[in-house]
Amino acid sequence: MTMIEFKNVTKTYPNGVKALNDVNLTIDQGEFVAIIGLSGAGKSTLIRCINRMHEINEGTLMVNDVDVGKLKGKQVRLFRRNIGMIFQSFNLVTRTSVINNVLISTVPDLAWWRKVLGLFPKEKKIDALEALDKVGILDKAYNRVDQLSGGQQQRVALARTIAQHPAIILADEPVASLDPVTAKVVMDDFKKINKETNMSILINIHHVELALEYADRVIGIRQGEVVYDGKSEAVTQEVLDQIYGSQAELPKMNDPEEAEV
Amino acid sequence: MNKAVQLQLEKEPNRKLYLSTIGIILAALLVWSFMGVNITGFDPRGTQIASNIFWGILSPDLAFLFDFRTAGGVPYLLFETIAIAFLGTIFGSLLAIPISFLMSPSVVSKPVAFVTRLVVIFIRTIPSLVYGLMFIRVTGPGPYAGVLTMSLTSIGMISRLYVDVIENLDRGVLEAMTSMGCNTYEKIRYGILPQLFSNFLSVTIYRYDMNLRDATILGLVGAGGIGAPLIFAMRSYRWNEVGSILIGLVILILAVEIFSNKLRSKLVNG
Amino acid sequence: MRETVYDKIFKPKTYTLSNGKEVKQHASRMPFILLIVLFITIVSWEVTGVDLSMIRTRGYQFIVILLAMFPPNLNFMSNVWGPLFDTIQMSLLGSIAGALLAIPFALLSSSNIIRNQLLNGFFKLFLSILRTLPTLVTALIATFIFGLGTMAGTVAIFIFTLSYIGKLMYEHIENVDMGAFEAHESMGLSKVEAFRYAIVPDVMPTYLSVSLYAFEGNIRYAAILGYVGAGGVGLLLDERLGWRDYPSVGMVLLILMLVVFVIERISEYFRMKLT
Ligand SMILES: Nc1ncnc2c1ncn2[C@@H]1O[C@H](COP(=O)(O)OP(=O)(O)OP(=O)(O)O)[C@@H](O)[C@H]1O
Ligand SMILES: [Mg+2]
Repeated sequence: MTMIEFKNVTKTYPNGVKALNDVNLTIDQGEFVAIIGLSGAGKSTLIRCINRMHEINEGTLMVNDVDVGKLKGKQVRLFRRNIGMIFQSFNLVTRTSVINNVLISTVPDLAWWRKVLGLFPKEKKIDALEALDKVGILDKAYNRVDQLSGGQQQRVALARTIAQHPAIILADEPVASLDPVTAKVVMDDFKKINKETNMSILINIHHVELALEYADRVIGIRQGEVVYDGKSEAVTQEVLDQIYGSQAELPKMNDPEEAEV
Repeated sequence: MNKAVQLQLEKEPNRKLYLSTIGIILAALLVWSFMGVNITGFDPRGTQIASNIFWGILSPDLAFLFDFRTAGGVPYLLFETIAIAFLGTIFGSLLAIPISFLMSPSVVSKPVAFVTRLVVIFIRTIPSLVYGLMFIRVTGPGPYAGVLTMSLTSIGMISRLYVDVIENLDRGVLEAMTSMGCNTYEKIRYGILPQLFSNFLSVTIYRYDMNLRDATILGLVGAGGIGAPLIFAMRSYRWNEVGSILIGLVILILAVEIFSNKLRSKLVNG
Repeated sequence: MRETVYDKIFKPKTYTLSNGKEVKQHASRMPFILLIVLFITIVSWEVTGVDLSMIRTRGYQFIVILLAMFPPNLNFMSNVWGPLFDTIQMSLLGSIAGALLAIPFALLSSSNIIRNQLLNGFFKLFLSILRTLPTLVTALIATFIFGLGTMAGTVAIFIFTLSYIGKLMYEHIENVDMGAFEAHESMGLSKVEAFRYAIVPDVMPTYLSVSLYAFEGNIRYAAILGYVGAGGVGLLLDERLGWRDYPSVGMVLLILMLVVFVIERISEYFRMKLT
C-alpha cells in the first residue's frame, strides 16, 4: 500500500533557494528508507514537507491518501498526529521528567483542565511507560531529561514518538550527535519498531555504512533532485559518487550555507 | 501491562500534597496581605496630580533641565549623583575584596565563612537612609555622606557576587600549572588573578548601575544627589521642575545601563 | 580582533616567526581603562568633597549613634509589629501583583513569542524606563496620587517588581531553545499547547526563583518607603530617628534584621530547590 507519494514536487524558500526540484517518489507502508546526500542537498526539506512543517510550492504530495497541500488549520494538526518526527538535537523539554516528555504526545486528546494543571490520565501513563520500556529506558522514567546522556535522550524522543502511535516516523539525522556504538543502539531501536509495528520510517543520515546496513531502500538527493532510488544492496561506489560527487567536484559544491563560511 | 511497567507506575513520585500545601499557604498569604494593605482608590486630588506630573514631564522646565552653569541645575545634580555612585562603588568594591574571601567556604573554614556572611547580611539590612543619617554626623550634610553610605551599602551585594566568582574559579588551570611545575606565587599571579580581575570588574560595573539608582534617594536625608531637589519640587507642586528632573534621571540611567552592558559584554568576550 | 581607533594611536607590536609568518599583538587596553577610571575617581573625589582624614578625626561619631542603639528598647517591641506587618504585606501584595503582570509584559517583549518587532521594542523600552525610577521616587509620586499610606508603598513595589521580573523573564524567554516547541508542533499540538508544554516548564523554575528573589529584596526596600509616607516600618524609623530615640531605632532594626533573615532563608531554600 502506498503511504507517501511525491508528484513533481518543487520547494523554493522565500529567499530564492530551490531546495527541492521536481521530486517524484513513492514510499509504501512498512518501508525503511534512508535518505542520503551532501549537506544542503535538501534532505531536511524533503522530510519536513511530508508533515507540513514546510510548504511545497509546486506539485502534489499525498500522504495516506490525503493531499497535504490542501489541509487547513486544525486539519494540519490532526494530520500531524499520525506522523512522528525525530530530531538531531532531540528537542525535548529538558527541565521536566522523562515521562512527562513522552506524555506530551497525548496532549491534544486531553480535557482542558488537565492541560491547565498538567495532569495526565493513568492509562496514558501506562502507555508512556510501555513506550519507554520498548526503547529500554523504563528505569529513567522519573529522572529529569537533562540528567540523561545524549543516546538516552534520543531514546526518550523515540519513545515520545512511539506513544503517539503514528503510521510514519520521520527522523532528521537522529544519530548525528551520538557516538558510533550508541548510534547503532538507536538504529537497532528504529529497526525493531519498523519490524514490530510496520510503521514506515524515513531517516536522513550522513553515515553511509549505517544507511546501507539498516535501511531496505536508499534515496540519494543532490541539489534538490532525486539522483538515486533503489535497494540498499544495489548501492555501489559509482552510485555514491553520483550522489556525493567525485572528490574533484566537491569544492564547487553549490551550497550557500557553506559558501558563507 | 507487563510487570516492570506496573512497578514503575507505582513508583511515581507523589507531589500533589506538597504542591497543594504550598498553594494553600500562598493563597492564605495573599488574602492576609490584601487585608493589611489599605486598598484605596485615587486620592481625591490624585487624578489631578497625576495629570500634573504627566504634563510636567511633557513640558519640563527647559531652563532648569539645560542649566549647565549653576550648581543647582539638573546637569550638575546628575553629575553629583554620578560621582557619589562612582566613588561609592569603588570604595565598596575595594572593601568587598577581603570580605568576599572571608565569606568563601573554599578559602576559609566553614564557621568563619558563616559568621562573615551573617555580619554582611546584617550590614545589608540596615536601610541606607539610616546609614545616611549616621554618616551625616561624621561629615556633615552633603555628597560626602552619600559616598560613605553608598560604600557601606554596596558591600553586601558586591561581596555576595564576588563569592560566586571565587567559588567558580576554573581550577583546571591550576592543575595544569602544577603539572608544568609552577610555584604558588606563579599560580596565583598567572592562574587566579587574571580570572578574578575581569570577573570582579564585571560585577562591579553591574553594581554601579544599581548604585546610581540608589544614589538618587540619598538626597532624602541630605546626603547629596538629585533626590532632595526632586522632593522639594514635588512638595511645592513645581511640576515642570519635577518633569525636568525625572527626564534627566531616566535618560541618565538608561544611558549608563546601555553603556555598562556594552562594557560588560566586552569584558566577557575579550 | 577588529582594528579600532585605539589601535591606530597605539600601534600593535609585530612579531616575525622563523617561518616568515607575522603575528600582531594589539596593545593592551588596560592602561587606558585604568587611566580613565583614575581620572573619574579624582573628579568625583573633588565634586563630593571626600576627605579621608575626617574619618579618622570624626569617625567615632558614626559609632555614637550605633552605640546609642544598645541596648535596644525592648518595651518598644509591641509598637513595631503593626508597621512591620504592614511592610511585609505591602511587599507581598506588590510582589505578587508585579510578578503576575510581568508575565504578559515579558511575553509581549519576547521576539520569539510575539513576532512583532515594534511591539517587542515598545514593551522593552517601557520596562527599561520603569526600571530606571528608584522605588522611593515612585513611592513618593504614589503618595501624591493615592494618598499617604500602604497603598502608595504597594504601588511602588508593584512597579519595581513588574519592571525587574519583566526584564529578566523576557531575556530568559528569548534564550529558550525552541526545539521542543517545534517538536510539539510536529506532533500536532496547537501553538498554545506547544507553548504550554515546551516553554512553560522551561521558564517556570526561573520565574518562581526570580519572583522569590524579588520578594526578598522588596522587603528591604519596603522598609524605607515609610520615609516618604508610604506606610510600613519606615514611618517608625523616620519618627524615632527624628526624636533621637535611638534605643527604639535599635529595636526596630533588630526586629527587621531577624525578619529579613528568616524570610531570606526560607526563600533561599525554595530557590535552591527550584534549580
Ligand atoms: N528556512 C530556510 N530558509 C531558506 N533556505 C533554507 C532554509 N532551510 C534550508 N534552506 C536551504 O535549502 C537548501 C537545502 O537545505 P536542507 O536543510 O534541506 O539540507 P540538508 O540536506 O538537510 O543538509 P544537512 O545535511 O546539512 O542537514 C540549502 O541550500 C539551505 O541553505
Ligand atoms: Mg538537514
